[in-house]
Amino acid sequence: MADKSKQGLSLPSYRLRIERVKIKEFVEAIGDPNPIYVDPEAAISQGYRDTPCPPTFATMAFQEFTGAYFKAFEELGIPLEKVLHGEEEYEYLAEIYPGDTLNCTMTFESIVEKTTKSGKMDLITLHTTFNNQNGQEVIRARSLIIERK
Amino acid sequence: MDGYAHIDFSTLDIGDSLPPLKKPPITKVQLVRYAGASGDFNPIHTDDEMARRAGLKGVIAQGLLIMGFAGQAITQWIPKKHLKRFKVRFTDVTYPGDIITVKANIVKKVRTENEIQIVCEIKAENQDAQLKLAGEFEASLPI
Repeated sequence: MADKSKQGLSLPSYRLRIERVKIKEFVEAIGDPNPIYVDPEAAISQGYRDTPCPPTFATMAFQEFTGAYFKAFEELGIPLEKVLHGEEEYEYLAEIYPGDTLNCTMTFESIVEKTTKSGKMDLITLHTTFNNQNGQEVIRARSLIIERK
Repeated sequence: MDGYAHIDFSTLDIGDSLPPLKKPPITKVQLVRYAGASGDFNPIHTDDEMARRAGLKGVIAQGLLIMGFAGQAITQWIPKKHLKRFKVRFTDVTYPGDIITVKANIVKKVRTENEIQIVCEIKAENQDAQLKLAGEFEASLPI
């Protein structure tokens, strides 16, 4: 089970540089043809400074590129094969653009044990803040991770 | 222009639905591309044998890919810069071949002096109306 003493703990911050080509790869994989994500002119004409990131782009900050989820699960003592992703939430505070460097800080917001019909599980809420190179908070992410027992 | 006729929420009300976004069938190649793009290299998304060993009938889509479809729909309905919050819960696994449709309806609408704040329920279903994802999003649209 998840180590409840870690509740409130923040992992060491890490940096993520936003690359234009990764945004392109991301929207192409989704199949999202919206030109604002790949064409600076289209984006500027819509009132953006450059091509913004699509709404779920912050997910890459948690994946193997950064190892953030692995570190979190390791710290909490949860075996990877027991992990289910239950919920994901983003709060958007400012746009993220190519060339930005985001400082990401993940906190174990809450760890709650729940009993359901299918047995006991731990509900772990990870809260991540993203600040850009100007110190501006751009996005807040909250992930609900379920540890099956 | 980004080529989309964004929704005019001044003419819509609570309970009204937004035009659904129907995606092409999910392919295994798409799961590989999304793995590379997002960094989610969990083999249950790309390797059938590993997926079967994990008790699945084959590879399953990344939940965040389906959330990405929902994000695509949202930013066709409203300009991305007006999106304030987006939350989903993953309710079921999605397999290659599934045809996902994203639907939403307005659950809250508040008009202030200079903006319309809306909250919409959003969901993604496959061709058999199996719910894959459900959630909500919130936007502030200048008048």
